[in-house]
Amino acid sequence: MPQPLSGKDSQLFRQLVKQYEGKTYKKGLKTADQLLRSVPNHGDTQAMKALIMNSMGQGEEAFALAKVALKNDMKSHVCWHVYGLLYRSQKNYEEAIKAYKFALRLEPDQMNILRDLALLQMQIRDYAGYLDTRKKMLTARPLIRQNWTAVAIGHHLLGDYKSAERVLQSFEETLKQPPPKSDIENSEAILYKNVIIAESGETERALEHLDKVLRNTLDRTTALELRAEYLLKLGKKEEAEKAYRTLLDRNTERRAYYDGLEAALGLDRSDEGSIEKLMEIYDFYAGKSERFDAPRRIPLDFLKGDAFRTAADKYLQRMLQKGVPSTFNNVKALYAGVDKKATIEKLVLGYQSQNSMNGSADGDSATVSDRFQEAVLYFLAQHYNYHLSRDLSKAMEYIDKLIKMRPKSVDYHQTKARIWKHYGNTKKAAEVINQARELDLKDRYINTKCAKYQLRNNENDLALTTMSKFTRNEAVGGPLGDLHDMQCLWYLTEDGEAYLRRGNLGLALKRFSAVADVFDIWQEDQFDFHSFSLRKGQIRAYVDMLRWEDSLRAHPSFTRAGISAVKIYLRLAEEQNDKSSQKQSSDNAANDLERKKAEKKAKKELEKLQKAEAEKKAAAAKNNKAKTVDGEVKKEDTDPLGKKLLETKEPLEAALRFLKPMLEFSPKNVEAQNVGFEVHLRRKKYLLALACLNAVKAVDPENPVLHEQAVRFRQVVNELKDLAPQVSETIKSTFTIILEDADLKAYNSEWQQKHADSPAHLRSAYSVRYILDNSTKAECESDLKSLLDSPSMTAEQAMKGLEYLNQWKSDESTKKAYKEAAAQKWPEATIFA
Amino acid sequence: MDIRVLQPSDIPYVQLANITNLPENYFCKYYLYHAMSWPQLSYVAVDVSRPPKTPYDPPKIVGYVLAKMEEEPTDGVQHGHITSLSVMRTHRRLGLAEKLMRQSQRAMVETFGAHYVSLHVRMSNIAALHLYRDTLGFKVEKVESKYYADGEDAYSMRMDLEDMKIALEEEDERTFGVDEGEAVGGEGEDEKKKEKRKVKVGRGLGVGELVERNAAAAS
Repeated sequence: MPQPLSGKDSQLFRQLVKQYEGKTYKKGLKTADQLLRSVPNHGDTQAMKALIMNSMGQGEEAFALAKVALKNDMKSHVCWHVYGLLYRSQKNYEEAIKAYKFALRLEPDQMNILRDLALLQMQIRDYAGYLDTRKKMLTARPLIRQNWTAVAIGHHLLGDYKSAERVLQSFEETLKQPPPKSDIENSEAILYKNVIIAESGETERALEHLDKVLRNTLDRTTALELRAEYLLKLGKKEEAEKAYRTLLDRNTERRAYYDGLEAALGLDRSDEGSIEKLMEIYDFYAGKSERFDAPRRIPLDFLKGDAFRTAADKYLQRMLQKGVPSTFNNVKALYAGVDKKATIEKLVLGYQSQNSMNGSADGDSATVSDRFQEAVLYFLAQHYNYHLSRDLSKAMEYIDKLIKMRPKSVDYHQTKARIWKHYGNTKKAAEVINQARELDLKDRYINTKCAKYQLRNNENDLALTTMSKFTRNEAVGGPLGDLHDMQCLWYLTEDGEAYLRRGNLGLALKRFSAVADVFDIWQEDQFDFHSFSLRKGQIRAYVDMLRWEDSLRAHPSFTRAGISAVKIYLRLAEEQNDKSSQKQSSDNAANDLERKKAEKKAKKELEKLQKAEAEKKAAAAKNNKAKTVDGEVKKEDTDPLGKKLLETKEPLEAALRFLKPMLEFSPKNVEAQNVGFEVHLRRKKYLLALACLNAVKAVDPENPVLHEQAVRFRQVVNELKDLAPQVSETIKSTFTIILEDADLKAYNSEWQQKHADSPAHLRSAYSVRYILDNSTKAECESDLKSLLDSPSMTAEQAMKGLEYLNQWKSDESTKKAYKEAAAQKWPEATIFA
Repeated sequence: MDIRVLQPSDIPYVQLANITNLPENYFCKYYLYHAMSWPQLSYVAVDVSRPPKTPYDPPKIVGYVLAKMEEEPTDGVQHGHITSLSVMRTHRRLGLAEKLMRQSQRAMVETFGAHYVSLHVRMSNIAALHLYRDTLGFKVEKVESKYYADGEDAYSMRMDLEDMKIALEEEDERTFGVDEGEAVGGEGEDEKKKEKRKVKVGRGLGVGELVERNAAAAS
């Protein structure tokens, strides 16, 4: 029981609660202090005061006070509730839930606490708990629709479709008269019920229900889409055809509708006999409007031979005459087919000689013809720049011609920069794209691309200056702060990668961690919608959101930043290892000297950065504006250079923040599995390491890194003595890539023979040779260098070769020779400089 | 290019398109607020003709329209509002902006009974002005001085949707026959009711603050 208050004091207490809810915190604090003067140990007041202090950013003091409050009044549900709220704000959901449950034991029917509990249960996906809590709320307040809907959501997410439907039905039956048609909450509840019926597998009944309610659905697009799907699924082909035609009349640019229509008509794109019928459909919709793209573009996917040439000719001419700059992007997917690629190339090369399209020379068609010619050249420049049809010198020729014609074109300069990028010349690429940027200073798109190219050229500071032309520079932390606030993942990732290339591990790891932080925020973002969506009544959208949140970190930016971050942690772990074994004699004095030199250089750069950071801080302190737009005080970043991140005692454990989600949500990503193996092997988690190997084997059994790792794994497990019997048994039965008694050298040379034409594979074979016998080092080095002469070698691949020289701790002179040879082969590339 | 309704899983990529193209940016939660309040109104243009690179290729979003209903219209008339619209420079001249807008506008009328749709455009953005005025039929309503964070003025534009509304009602009647359930004057009534059960985007919710914060950033 809370301590009772006198009349006047209890009035003050109510005022305090209101002040908290109304966010007038300063007044609230005053009220609380006033009350505490009259009742010094009043738990509830102390709890409320703690809550306010927490909202004002004094988390630690708030927690201390909340504990005092609890001590004073263990039996007060308010104190427990507040305790839970404080835990919640620290995102410690487990403890928060425990505290709420204590509060509810004291006051089982407190709706506020029940509601807060349900929110958290949803956040941590405790569906059973959520259902239980929401059922209690429904019993207490059965007249509110939201309470029924919430119970239905609980059943639905637990996979109990029947109960979910029954609950929604029960509420509908309590309605004495149907709600007006414009009632969006009702319309959505009906559609939600329909989706539940369909998800339960009862398509027939879902269709019946939908037909009954169709007219009253406000989200007509979804209703019609669902109906078409049901009809198709049920084999009601004629009706399905009609349904898809209705949808196409509403949106002619939706691929899924064409797929549906084709299925309804029983057409098959790979069947020659279907082609005529298919073309009837597409010609029909193309004929409806000049502006439609889909019905013109889709047939290029399935037409073949002459029919393809005719259709592609028509499509390309039409687009190029309109001067559509994305024409190439629109067709490049077709290049996966060698024949189609050749046909398109031939067609467009042919257009070059087609000088005057209409044969007449009046002014109008002359401009049409000029535009066409320009578009043709632009297409060809992009064509020869594309990796499947690459001929960079031709691409450069075309783009230079275009730039001569139109020296102020942003697009042409951008393409030229891309060509330089593909040459491996990041410097010229960055220069040219900056010219493009200067041609249109108000266009953020080209500004963005410019910053990206500058980062690729390792110009972090310059890139930030470029970005600052469009960021909110008054934000805390300036442009970089704004890019963090606005969750600009691409920038954080590329900035980190550039720092990594420059050897600044601290800032690299800092940026990659910032990427992971953004995902934490996104996960947290859903919290408010657990209550908001119930009020809004858009339940289908809400459930979609929950499902998306569940696999949030499948996002490629997470994986990309994650792989780099894990690699850094692996390096940190190596360094710690080296340090502990440094007592051993330094057998390579030259290398040692090199390392010391590099360390000195890095230290100098770090000092420079620290100085700049300190100056920035001083300037910021002068302005004293450490507040965001909404007045929320932003905590000072105590580790702006990522130094503390590097000082982690357990780099391998820290790596798990990135590694675990990658392996869970992007298991088919080979590189993620590759780094996963390295981490788990070093953690001596042999089964997890093996799982990584087997995951790669399933996706890409001949993966070069897999080859190296499998050999190393075999070496390691053969040496292991004191493994638990289940572990060694599992390894025995599931590590089948290389058998226990295999002759590893023979295995490697066999593998090498099998992949004699692939530089990437050969490199791995050399690496394994070195691992098995490090006296072959010189031989490996010279083989690696000869690979540069291989016809299929790319500049990017050559870069990777360099990593092996680092791994083998090769002499500087060897590395230099390798780089020089590469530079000779790719004279335009800056990366070997 | 595929034109389809925005799904929550598209949001990071819409956010990417936005911050690549435009100076007015928002965090994820603000997109979520749109997608959870008016999931029918926002559309994306997706480049589906790109060769897949990995098993986890994101949707390549080359254009989007982020739209909402005005929560508390000062004139008391239900209407939609375009929060943000953009198309990648590499995908211009395909008519994507127009196609996105048409889908969104239809949904505004069909789902929320909008009478018109409004938007703001930078006075210097001639291309956008041309699109809204000449291609889509928006009219300049007034100039809002210093609307943008950098001090630039905005045209406040709007487009009437009554004709679309009538056309859609007629289409409905052709499909289902005349609806006897609702009286001719029913619509006004509905609106009154709607106002009564106005959904509060309260402070406690957090999302409400986003609206204010965004307005603050814009003004």
